[in-house]
Amino acid sequence: MTIRHPGASWRGALAAALVVTICIGGIGTSGDARAEYADVVINNYSDAAGMRPVIFPHWFHRIRFRCKVCHADLGFQFKAGGNEINMVKIIDGQFCGACHNGDIAWSVENCNLCHSGKPGTPTQVHESTIQKLAIQPQAGGQQ
Amino acid sequence: MNRTLRIPALALAILGCAPFGAAHAQNDKGKAIYDKVCVACHSAGIAGAPKLGDAKAWEPRIKAGIDALYESALKGKAPAMPAKGGATDVPDADIKAAVDYMVAAAKDGAPAAAATAPAGPAAQAAPATPTAPRPAALSFNRLLKPASKRNPPPPEDGIHDPDNDGTHALQPPLQVFESLPRSNAGNRVDWVKALDNNLIGPRWDRTDPAAAPVVMDLNIVREVKGSMPDVVYPHKQHTAWLDCSNCHPQIFIPQKGANQISMAAILLGQKCGVCHGKVAFPVSECRICHSKKKNVMPVKNAQAN
Repeated sequence: MTIRHPGASWRGALAAALVVTICIGGIGTSGDARAEYADVVINNYSDAAGMRPVIFPHWFHRIRFRCKVCHADLGFQFKAGGNEINMVKIIDGQFCGACHNGDIAWSVENCNLCHSGKPGTPTQVHESTIQKLAIQPQAGGQQ
Repeated sequence: MNRTLRIPALALAILGCAPFGAAHAQNDKGKAIYDKVCVACHSAGIAGAPKLGDAKAWEPRIKAGIDALYESALKGKAPAMPAKGGATDVPDADIKAAVDYMVAAAKDGAPAAAATAPAGPAAQAAPATPTAPRPAALSFNRLLKPASKRNPPPPEDGIHDPDNDGTHALQPPLQVFESLPRSNAGNRVDWVKALDNNLIGPRWDRTDPAAAPVVMDLNIVREVKGSMPDVVYPHKQHTAWLDCSNCHPQIFIPQKGANQISMAAILLGQKCGVCHGKVAFPVSECRICHSKKKNVMPVKNAQAN
């Protein structure tokens, strides 16, 4: 709500502080992790199911598809972990399963290519501004 | 008895010294190159570089043969070793000497001590150029990610599990980034330029490779408060990647003056921040958006108008 009223001095100071934080960069909650910008870790159900969390590499996919294909046609929301994807939906041809079906891209039996994260890695957009600002991801995903 | 033994012992000592002296000279050359070039990575083991004197790290490399090591040093080796360690003006022979020096160091375990102990003056010179890795606290630009730590392959990136066999099958980003135009932030790839220059051909449709976007060439200028240049929002670069429905009407109401945007909101992942700071170039790149210089009009003229 507060962001609807720009101009208040404290907010300017906050923004300035945030910018400084970003400029010095690299000091986040991510420890020694230095994966690619925009790598998305999805750990909604993986840890609980004894699987490694999923890592989605944006860079790899944007070389092959424009944003629109997944984010408009396939219905992926712009929110890490906010799409409630599970294997049933994928096998049913939704979300990742629209391409990862053995036809356009390799199919679901290659579990370890997606489920490749270190166990316990929380859902996140790696290297994102929010992550760098040390705001912990909320339950249900990070915006 | 003593005498008869002393002569062969002396001869042995001389014989032993001669090749050692030659090797020592070669070692000095190698050490000089090492101290100048290789030390940047090979002292601290940056980006997987085997450390000087780390016998365990060097063992498999030495086993592969000295020629393979020369080849890696001269021509570079993925993921991070540049050709000649980046010093392309150094002659091949000197680079090879540096390799020999590092191999000898790995075999000795304690390189500097072993190489310099017999020679008095060299031993005195040694403390002036220590080869011990510098502590991280003293490194140049302590908080900046050094170039060698950017775009690491998945097994080394800190979030992929190196114990997972699938991790090793994933493509290392640098394999493709090297052929794409670079930028100063994010993936360090200028994706817009890569698309404009046809270096990448991402599909517009899931199945139809021939489908093409309807690109809308319309710039929106947003005047901003303060001294920052005004923002020019280009529909062109955005519609090349995105569908109108990605932004309108949920994130931006398609109407002039209807959207309140602030840097605070963007930093928190709203408005432009839905993508910029997550996947599109981050907010550290101020001037890509704030690109239109304000018309600074003197007060007098403004009144006259």
